[in-house]
Formats: sequence, C-alpha cells, structure tokens
Amino acid sequence: MSGQAIITTILGAFLFPIFLRLFWGRLVNKFGAIGGFLAALVIVGTIWIINHGMENHLIQQSGSGWIDMAWAAAIGVFTASVVTGGKIKKSFSNIGAAVVGGVIGGIVLIFML
Amino acid sequence: MKFFKSTLGYFLASIIINGFWGIFTNKFGPFGGYIAALCLTGSAWYINHYLGLIKHDEDSAFIDMGLGVAICLVTKGYILNGINSIISSIPTFICIVVGAILGGYVSVLIERNIVEKKKREESSKEENFEMLDLKIID
Repeated sequence: MSGQAIITTILGAFLFPIFLRLFWGRLVNKFGAIGGFLAALVIVGTIWIINHGMENHLIQQSGSGWIDMAWAAAIGVFTASVVTGGKIKKSFSNIGAAVVGGVIGGIVLIFML
Repeated sequence: MKFFKSTLGYFLASIIINGFWGIFTNKFGPFGGYIAALCLTGSAWYINHYLGLIKHDEDSAFIDMGLGVAICLVTKGYILNGINSIISSIPTFICIVVGAILGGYVSVLIERNIVEKKKREESSKEENFEMLDLKIID
C-alpha cells in the first residue's frame, strides 16, 4: 500500500462511525422505524459510494481479500459505546455470535455463487 | 437461546447485505448503492436492531450487525483464494481499525461537546430566570 492509500483508507474508516453515531439514533428517536430506513439510505448509501462505489474510492484494498467498510462500522460503534460506559466482557457472547453467523454466512454465500 | 437468536441475526444480515448488494450496483452502477442501502441495510437493521433479534445485555458494549457482514466477506475470500487473501489484506485492515477507533472516539467527543453546550445554555437561562424573579420580587 502506498502512503496515499493508507491515508485515504484511514479517512474512509474515520467518516463512517461518526455519521452512524451522530445520525442514526437521533433519526430513530425522531421518526421511529422510518428514521432508521432514512438513515440507512442517507448514511450507508452515501458512505458506500465514497468508500467503495466511486472510481477513486477511499478504502483501497491491499490484497485479494475484501475488507468491507462494515469493519469500520462495527469497530467504531463498539469503541464509542465502550468510551461511554459499555462493558467489553458482557459483549463477548455477541462477538461470538457475530463470528459464527458471519462464517456460516460466508460459506452459504459460496453456495449461492 | 439468546446466542442462537443473535447468531441468526448476524447470519441473516450477512446473507441479505452481501448476497444481494451486487444486483443493484451491477444494474445501476455506483448509484445503485443507494437502492441497495435502503432495501438491504434498512431491512436488516429493522429485523436485527429495531425488532431486536440481536439482543444485548444491559450496559454491554454494542456489537453492530456490521461485524457479521465484514466477517462473512473475509470468510468468502478465504474459501475462494486461500489464507493468502487474509494475509495480503492485513494492511487495509489495520488502517481501517485505526480510522474506526479514531472515528468512534471523535464522535463521542462531539456528542459530549453538544451536551455540555446545551447544559451550559440551560443553566445560564435558569440563572437569568432567577435574576428576573428577584427583580420582580424587588
């Protein structure tokens, strides 16, 4: 990875959790479930185009594997909730569930090809 | 039971989002991402976090359904391209971890700043109110 790619990748991962944390919960509090769909359209749609969709996208892949911006969402929101007083130990069962569910999902996706 | 429900939630999110995102973006180009985000991310979020298929303990740190989505794609790459795909992607992963931790922390700082500002404004209002009251009483 070149220096430029490192900076743009960090920037792309930096933007996503900020928008998620500052928009999503507030929109849901204001409009209910519709606010969640609105947040999905505005935040995920826009940031996906910036990070993966457009020609000079921010998150550059260094290898043949695909590192999605969902990593940034998960890690960023996790960090924010830890800073505001979430207990890391209590989230272990959810991390385990995410790993198991994700691995099964990956295997099933191969079947869908 | 709770573990299986959460696992099902992360599994569903990874299948819905990763399996069908390409349909929209192949057909409509990058701006198909908006349709995909509304239909796929929106519905997956609704099932998992709004209806509550993924359950969190009280005061537990929040694990977004994005973790399932991300791990799903890494697993897919591992099955298709072998261990080399994971090793060669580590630099991108490290950059994303750094950026995401910074982003999460900065968002909390912004929130705190806004809350403190509101508190300060409210308290100054209350002080003014008290002063007004005193004037009226005087």
